[in-house]
Amino acid sequence: MSKSIDLQQEGIEVKKSCCYFCHQNCGVLAYVKDGKVLAIEGDPSYPTNEGGLCCRGNIALKHLDHPARVNYPLKRVGKRGEGKWEQIPWDQAMDEIAAKLAAIRDEFGAEAVATAGGTSRTDDWARRRFMNMFGSPNCFHNSHLCWIPTFMVETAIYGWCPFDLDLGASRCLVLWGQNPGASSMPEMHHIRELQTKGLKVIVIDPRFTETAAKADLWLPLRPGSDLALALAWVNVIIHEGLYDAEFVTEYCEGFGELADHVEQFTPEWAAPLTWLTPEQIRESAYMYATSKPGNIQWGVAIDQLGKSAGAAMHARALLRALTGNLDCPGSDLLTGPSQDSITDEEMEANDMLPEAQKAKQIGADRFKLITWPGYGRIAELAKKHWGKAPTAEWMCEAHPPSVFNAIITGEPYQIKALLVSATNPVNSYGQSKMTLEALRKVDFMVTCEYWMTPTAALSDYVLPIAGALERPTITNSYGCADFLLCSQRAIQPMYERRNDYNFWRDLGMRMGQEEMWPWETVEDAYHYRIEPLGYGAESYDEFVDLYRFHFPEREYFKYKRIGFGTPSGKVELYSSTLKDLGYPPLPEYAGPVENELDDPELAKEYPLVLTTGNGFMPFHHSEHFQIKELRFLRHEPRVEINPATAAELGIADEDWVWIETRRGRIKQKAALTQGVAPRVIVTERGWWFPERSMAEPELGGCLESNTNVLTSVDDEHCDPFSGTWANRGLLCKVYKVNGADAKEGK
Amino acid sequence: MARYAMVFDIRRCIGCHSCTVACRTKNELPMDMIYNPVTTVGPTGVYPNLSMVHLPLICMHCDNPPCVDACPTGASQRRDDGIVFVEDKKCVGCLACVMACPYGARVKNHESGAVQKCDFCKDRVDEGKLPYCVLTCHQKARVFGDLDDETSEVYKLVNGERTVRLLAELGTEPYAFYIYG
Ligand code: SF4
Ligand code: SF4
Ligand code: SF4
Repeated sequence: MSKSIDLQQEGIEVKKSCCYFCHQNCGVLAYVKDGKVLAIEGDPSYPTNEGGLCCRGNIALKHLDHPARVNYPLKRVGKRGEGKWEQIPWDQAMDEIAAKLAAIRDEFGAEAVATAGGTSRTDDWARRRFMNMFGSPNCFHNSHLCWIPTFMVETAIYGWCPFDLDLGASRCLVLWGQNPGASSMPEMHHIRELQTKGLKVIVIDPRFTETAAKADLWLPLRPGSDLALALAWVNVIIHEGLYDAEFVTEYCEGFGELADHVEQFTPEWAAPLTWLTPEQIRESAYMYATSKPGNIQWGVAIDQLGKSAGAAMHARALLRALTGNLDCPGSDLLTGPSQDSITDEEMEANDMLPEAQKAKQIGADRFKLITWPGYGRIAELAKKHWGKAPTAEWMCEAHPPSVFNAIITGEPYQIKALLVSATNPVNSYGQSKMTLEALRKVDFMVTCEYWMTPTAALSDYVLPIAGALERPTITNSYGCADFLLCSQRAIQPMYERRNDYNFWRDLGMRMGQEEMWPWETVEDAYHYRIEPLGYGAESYDEFVDLYRFHFPEREYFKYKRIGFGTPSGKVELYSSTLKDLGYPPLPEYAGPVENELDDPELAKEYPLVLTTGNGFMPFHHSEHFQIKELRFLRHEPRVEINPATAAELGIADEDWVWIETRRGRIKQKAALTQGVAPRVIVTERGWWFPERSMAEPELGGCLESNTNVLTSVDDEHCDPFSGTWANRGLLCKVYKVNGADAKEGK
Repeated sequence: MARYAMVFDIRRCIGCHSCTVACRTKNELPMDMIYNPVTTVGPTGVYPNLSMVHLPLICMHCDNPPCVDACPTGASQRRDDGIVFVEDKKCVGCLACVMACPYGARVKNHESGAVQKCDFCKDRVDEGKLPYCVLTCHQKARVFGDLDDETSEVYKLVNGERTVRLLAELGTEPYAFYIYG
């Protein structure tokens, strides 16, 4: 009884749109008539997804016009969080917000206004452009937990960070803390395809994931022990002579120092720290170093280690350099920024932010790598080498937990306003109780959103934002790739939704930035960005219709021509850039933030090892819990526990259990599985319950099952390089929820 | 005449359920109906020696469909190209076919009263398109095509790989084939 719509009927236009529910941005064909999307399909001719769409991609039409969407600008009436709203015109909202921000700037300085960004749903360059001209250095982002520290550490060492894998010619792929089987499905398909042609796949993950199940080698390491493993691999590769001697001699600096430094980090040393055997460590290091060329794919896990994150990224980067797996066919490619189009960074107007304001960026005193001191230095080197800098948005951020802390304590100075766009901080940032306290306390909050999230519910204004199918998109790995994949909007935004670009532009126009916003629409801005490609399209839409993609010709071995983008022009195994910033130039060992060796007392009370970053199909971060066509797949939050552990604790499958760390407790439902080690607990992230009351004090149950209640943002738990906080390798205890305490957890 | 078949490459399936969601969305099925569930078996074994497989299910489009034989009204039919479908106007919801199907492939739609099931997206197939679950599968774990066409991928897989049919011993001759690897 298919209610299939006749897609041959007259007047139907096919728009080359894309999915917007994760960063893959799979190509979508949207069948549009009279400004309405009748149907969507994966675009078979899109190079990554080839017609495929995951669960989320398939519910695009449910998302587009879901009854719970916020469709009109809302202004709070009544108390903060009371859930009483008045619908007002956009112009009124923007006038009032602009007036309020101006008043805050006059009284407290521009830095008293901070913005929180989300996960690339937005034109973040526009936000940065606004903030630079407004004069505040306090943009921040979830990016600390996702790739950005890696990008900056690796750029310090060899002048760019590979995000582009030349998998076709590769013989070995290391998936380090990554599960493309649940998170990047187009990629998973290509990996599987290549495995049939001989590609070896090593999965490093405490969980037996969809991807681990298909790997040639699975290394189930202790959560948070990645640094020990990476150092031991470096040790094996150097001391067993597996490195690429020619590349190292010719193109690297500091090999002698490194070799001496890692002598101590033998597989025997790493075994008890990683819970692997020395043989497993040796065998896997051999597999990577001798199956050449090879790749190490970035995975989010290392970015979420906290204290040991920066050193782990450093050690992992050294593996590529030692094996010569950089910029040669089949290896990790250093593409550099796009030379052919206007990059995100060039759109950001970073020069407009005065030095004195840059100096005020919160967190820049302690975490130098992803703030102006480190970014400024690395951007300068990149400009010298590539002619262009990496994007400042994402790479140069105020330290989020410190901003929340500043709201609460007024230290180092007062933060009065928070503009939130495409994120739900209470569910996505660390130590949720503290984050929530900050959201409750901040004087003025505006949230640009699709839904009434717990964060939106605490705002003064909630503004309706255009989503997938309603906005054009350029996909280019955050401005760090040299290619572009372009998509057009299927329809103009429904109801009174607007692009976030228009939000920042409208605000800018009201604050004396008129000259800086010549592009009335997002398409105008995008057209400006792609014009230098030289295709001669009259408009952005025409470009998408006719060309859609731009893949510049690949040049391998660029370093032979231009060297590496470091002070010495070589790969700096011993990093002068890190050293200049006051960090160890070689990776030094640190244990997981909480562990039984360093804190035996703590381990007595909290004997289990917790990892919290588990994303799961069909959700993405803290999204989509409203959509029943997805929720039926996972109605309630799940925590994975080994059956042996569960038996000891008297826990049965599907029991509600408390998971508790020093910072608090949450409840999820026990999922007994052999897929995790007996001492390991794996929680799902993101959970809240949009079906509950969204007003105070319930706020969608945003603390009840939210794994970020358990994570830590304490300064001593954060990575000293980047400030990334601790989501993995924590200590916890688990016990059954009994009737009496089932309700706690507000 | 074509002879349609679907091959499931279990080595590729990752249990992502996008086929399930896509099918339900495309066919506007109520929340309590699914044409094509995916079951996950595992992880089996004892940590860390484990394995895990995912098994997508659909109507098997049997060559010998007991559901069609059982149907008193002629609502359940089999086309010459092998697609088994229900003509919902003729269906009285007696559930005889539901009892007869050994694969649990049929469900009554409580909104319409008719029994429904996967029909290989026959309207799409008639337009030369792929069934929607096949198009949407990122992993290309589902392959659809004409088994009578020697150049088709299903032909090559069914004749070149070790495939199995579920409950083959019942003699229903399903046109869904599974590659275990
Ligand atoms: S993988 Fe899924 S969510 Fe991501 S872009 Fe593709 S269809 Fe959308
Ligand atoms: S869409 Fe493909 S990979 Fe995903 S569950 Fe279905 S058959 Fe398996
Ligand atoms: S699987 Fe069941 S419903 Fe489908 S054709 Fe066979 S007997 Fe009929």
